[in-house]
Amino acid sequence: MKEHIIFYSVVKKHFIELRRYFLNTLMTISGVFILFLLVFMGLRSFEAGTETLKGSIIGFAMWTFAVGAYSEMSWGLLQEARDGTLEQLYLTPSSFRRISGYRVFASFLFQFVLFIVFLIIMMVTTGQYLYLDPGIIVLVGLTLLSVYGIGYVMGGLSLVFKKVQAANQILMFMFILFLVLPTITDHKIIYFVPISWGNVLLNKMMVDGLSLFDLTLVEHAILILNSFAYLVLGLIVFRFMENIAKKRGLLGHY
Amino acid sequence: MKALEVKDLYKNYSRWRGKTTKAVDGVSFSVEEGEIVGFLGPNGAGKTTTIKCICGLIEPNSGDINIFGIDAVSDTRKAVENTSAVLEGNRNIYWRLTTRENLEFFAGLHGRSKKETKSEMDKLLERFDLKEKEDTSARKLSRGMQQKLALACALIRGTDLLLLDEPTLGLDVKTSKELRRFVMQLAVDKGKTILLSSHDMNVVEDVCERVIIINDGKVLADDKVRNLKSLFDVHLYDFILRGKPSLDEIEEYHEVIDVRYENNKTRLKVSLKDSGSFYRLIDHLRDSGMELEKVENLDTHLEEIFMNIVEEELGG
Repeated sequence: MKEHIIFYSVVKKHFIELRRYFLNTLMTISGVFILFLLVFMGLRSFEAGTETLKGSIIGFAMWTFAVGAYSEMSWGLLQEARDGTLEQLYLTPSSFRRISGYRVFASFLFQFVLFIVFLIIMMVTTGQYLYLDPGIIVLVGLTLLSVYGIGYVMGGLSLVFKKVQAANQILMFMFILFLVLPTITDHKIIYFVPISWGNVLLNKMMVDGLSLFDLTLVEHAILILNSFAYLVLGLIVFRFMENIAKKRGLLGHY
Repeated sequence: MKALEVKDLYKNYSRWRGKTTKAVDGVSFSVEEGEIVGFLGPNGAGKTTTIKCICGLIEPNSGDINIFGIDAVSDTRKAVENTSAVLEGNRNIYWRLTTRENLEFFAGLHGRSKKETKSEMDKLLERFDLKEKEDTSARKLSRGMQQKLALACALIRGTDLLLLDEPTLGLDVKTSKELRRFVMQLAVDKGKTILLSSHDMNVVEDVCERVIIINDGKVLADDKVRNLKSLFDVHLYDFILRGKPSLDEIEEYHEVIDVRYENNKTRLKVSLKDSGSFYRLIDHLRDSGMELEKVENLDTHLEEIFMNIVEEELGG
């Protein structure tokens, strides 16, 4: 079996669809950017310090990235079921989990470019400049694994329960909470919830100018363990829900 | 060689308070390589569930499914290498992708590269009259074209077993006939094995040599169409009579299917078991002073056979 051809086809399709939805994507980004400006101006009116303002840029960019990444899994699956193409994705000599992994990869590539462009626009607009060390690719990638894990959980739930939009909206707000948590508390909980610890490390690199190698081994280990724990949990839940969907004949339902 | 073998397949769906619905109740059949077999049954008969069990989209409670000798229940991925399906007419394609992009994607999903399938893709586009629409988004195609594209996408995967669930649903007569012709060619020219499910008896009768009739999750008949026709050797006749006959007497000995009165004429459609019945009815009409204007022998269609089989089953 030629797995690389399957990988290439899935990634290519993802980018073709993005091109077709270009206007929609552009309008969503514009909306998020306006929202960011409102938050930023609000913070400045409260005379927030430079560190807080810079932190808000990183937090907002991460939130956009996280919501995009997570939607790809949960909303994307529901959309496939609605269009009737989900079952076709199961008819492959590869596996559906691999196919969705390739989609996640394609989505990450696009979202990362968007993340950097978004950061630059925000820095130029606000005059708050951040360090852009290439090492942030690794950090963002690791941090996002936990979000993809949650995406798999929600994707699995949507295979069985279909209507999970309300939970999706709650999670979007939960991501804000996880991102601001380190600014509220230094309790160990930030090691356990998704994206909080990654955001702390990202601030260290982008605000304090540290490199990936300046971070301690323990700091790296916490991030890796946190992210992989969520990813593995997501895959387990997804597999469990997928089996239920197959037993109940729900894959094609929407 | 057997392309597909289904043995004692059971699928129940659990409902509230421990109740279960039997969707597939011990279905067994097989399909030889290069054969086109019709899978016929009313709504809720278990056709789609059986097909989805074959391609691993629904997990059966028990039973064996073998595709070209590979156990499709325990090794679904390996079995799927040689299986493709069109499951709900036009809902199998990406509406935002163009015709060609859809074909390229589905070929790729089975590990077939653009280079490898280029000439095959061109032939399919020509054959399905989609060449002019190759760069058009699938959502802008007519329903017929979308369904043809869905079938083309299943074919470009290059598998030997094709499962077609209601492939002509919602198509106009012309497109439906085109599709039927193409399906027949697939078996003859390419040696594909096809299991085709449909409500439409005309589709199955036109395309399939053998038919499996299923109802309430059970196989009621599995035979060649011509054998089923001789098994239910009923002959339909259409009589046009001057005047109005007494129906009670006719119905006492013969099965009246339809009666219509128009302009002092009676159009009588009856089902007669043998030539003796035919002569008895003629004698009766003559004795009762009816003038026979025209009589026509109607061909037995699969629809009548199907109704007979299902009604016989319901009658116990």
